[in-house]
Amino acid sequence: MTGLAWGRRYLTCPPTYFDVVYEINPWMHREVKADRDRALRQWEALMATLDEAGATVEAMAPAEGWPDLVFTANAGIVNGDQFVPARFRHPERQGETALDIAWFRSHGFGIDELPVGVCHEGAGDALPFGDVLISAYRFRSDATAHAYLSRLTGAAVRSIELVDERLYHFDLTFCPLDERRAIVAPLGWDGYGCRVMEALVPEPLVLEDDEALSFCANSVVVGTTVIMPVCPPRVGRQLEAWGLDVTVCPVDEFLKAGGGCRCLTLALDVTLAPTVGS
Amino acid sequence: MPEASEIVEVEGHIIDSLILPKVLDVILSSGADYRLLDVEIGKTNVDASRARIEVTAADADALASLLDELQIHGANRMVRSDAELAACDRDGVLPAGFYSSTNLPTSVRIGGRWVEVEFPEMDCALVLREDGRLRALPMHRVRIGDRVVVGTEGIRVAAPSRPRGHNPFEFMASEVSSEKPKGLLVAAVADRIRTAKASGHKILAVCGPAVIHTGAGPHLADLVRNGWIDLLFAGNGFAAHDLESNVMGTSLGVSITEGSPAEGGHANHLRVINEIRRYGSIAAAVDAGYIDGGVMFECVKRGVSFVLGGSVRDDGPLPDVYRDVVEAADAMRYLLPGVGVALMLASTLHAIATGNLLPAWVETFCVDINQAVVTKLADRGSHQALGVVTDVGLFLSGLVDHLVG
Repeated sequence: MTGLAWGRRYLTCPPTYFDVVYEINPWMHREVKADRDRALRQWEALMATLDEAGATVEAMAPAEGWPDLVFTANAGIVNGDQFVPARFRHPERQGETALDIAWFRSHGFGIDELPVGVCHEGAGDALPFGDVLISAYRFRSDATAHAYLSRLTGAAVRSIELVDERLYHFDLTFCPLDERRAIVAPLGWDGYGCRVMEALVPEPLVLEDDEALSFCANSVVVGTTVIMPVCPPRVGRQLEAWGLDVTVCPVDEFLKAGGGCRCLTLALDVTLAPTVGS
Repeated sequence: MPEASEIVEVEGHIIDSLILPKVLDVILSSGADYRLLDVEIGKTNVDASRARIEVTAADADALASLLDELQIHGANRMVRSDAELAACDRDGVLPAGFYSSTNLPTSVRIGGRWVEVEFPEMDCALVLREDGRLRALPMHRVRIGDRVVVGTEGIRVAAPSRPRGHNPFEFMASEVSSEKPKGLLVAAVADRIRTAKASGHKILAVCGPAVIHTGAGPHLADLVRNGWIDLLFAGNGFAAHDLESNVMGTSLGVSITEGSPAEGGHANHLRVINEIRRYGSIAAAVDAGYIDGGVMFECVKRGVSFVLGGSVRDDGPLPDVYRDVVEAADAMRYLLPGVGVALMLASTLHAIATGNLLPAWVETFCVDINQAVVTKLADRGSHQALGVVTDVGLFLSGLVDHLVG
């Protein structure tokens, strides 16, 4: 197993202003506040784990009033030196976009925006696999965004409908491990989506429903290391059997806002395949 | 409610993502239907594919909720812009490029919202009122500053549909034929009238003078007397002969009972018209006891509204006749809302005039011995008209049997 071709450089954002101040997914409850010190310790542990696994980490400046800015996965789509910023569904997060655009612009990325009125929440709802970009829709992203994404990036996009609100982003249901393998959570997809994913992923690690809801698919893969918020034993054994190293990095403070390890990172070294033929 | 349809477009990698089959599945499982207008399949898998789908649902509400559902899967309505409006700069003159209406259920997109035309009428302009409602108005009724829909953008017209399921008219479709079992059709018309009355709709009779000539006047009077007719449109001739037959026992000088020409009979209707002009109106003549029976008598007695539209060949005319045809049409227009069934009885000119004013959802039965009338009506856009080719006298006596018993 050679691991994933991308995922050695990440954008993150420290949880200085992280908190649960609104409810935009079924995991958020305003009465369950985040413990900011604990969150910071968990985040620093994640950074150390990424570093140890051989990844380079960049951090953007946190901003007061944007508690979810910490979830950089949703900032947008990276394609080489192109950045397509997210258009957030909820006004609570829409202010993050200007900060994301500013960071990417100052780091040499060209910015290509989706049309106004079309929602898409970045890598939270779109992950490359094989020679396509798989993107989900319904809760946070619009299906119409996929055609625009394809036009802007030149990548072929496969659309998957999410059906379980608890798995409101695609990165809670899918984690690419290499060219052929991925962790998949069919619980989150409709029948058509399941068929498309079956056709796309030759060797899936299919999560049971309770495993899927543990957020174990929201993991970061650095080469052959899988950094997971939790790891159900059965999943861990399979990953190890495939020659992957599992590192569990608890980020349960962030689970209060509905995010795991993947949500806290955005891979910067992704180049989408400008596929020709299949 | 009539069927409603709309064209949606879905674009992207819709074949490999199974979005296209999913969208079609969503349409069918909601009970609606679709027609694939065109599908462009991308040559490589980078190329997006595109499909245009015409979706038809049972009614506008079902369509609206289905379109919302389809939008989630990326299938969007083709119409995304509002209709264009232009102001009239002269009374009775429409802006050039005005949208000429049909009598089908029509909605216009204004300010991002679909507004339904309240009482669709063919060959009119659509005028946006101050309160945001849309009216179909004939050109002579528009005034300076009225905002009129121009062009064809942002206008949605529901496809005409016939009632679904088994009904006696099914086999007729739009075809007119004298080769149909009349008894069955009369029973079916009676049934439709009953249903319309039960749901609070009005029944309109549009009558030609042949109703009186054929001796069917008393049957129609029976229907009026028993409350089955709420509204009557006719010309000077129908009313004059109805009154003549009541006062003189003749219709155009021919005895209704004997069928033989009465002495000096050709002037009978003129004498009656002359007397009624002396009274000032049909109602006044009824009140004075000069008229004591017949269709017009029953209309006056029961307070059934009638509009008598004049024409250039009228004798007299009767004092109630509108001499200005534009005013006559307006008078008819004002009475039409609420009509559920229209019976066109041996009338050509008034039937076509009424057909022009009726929305397509009003069930229209055209009874005439000559099938050309029904064809003419359909040719002029009243596609909803169903023809019953028979003698109007037989038809009305059958209707009385069914409704009055």
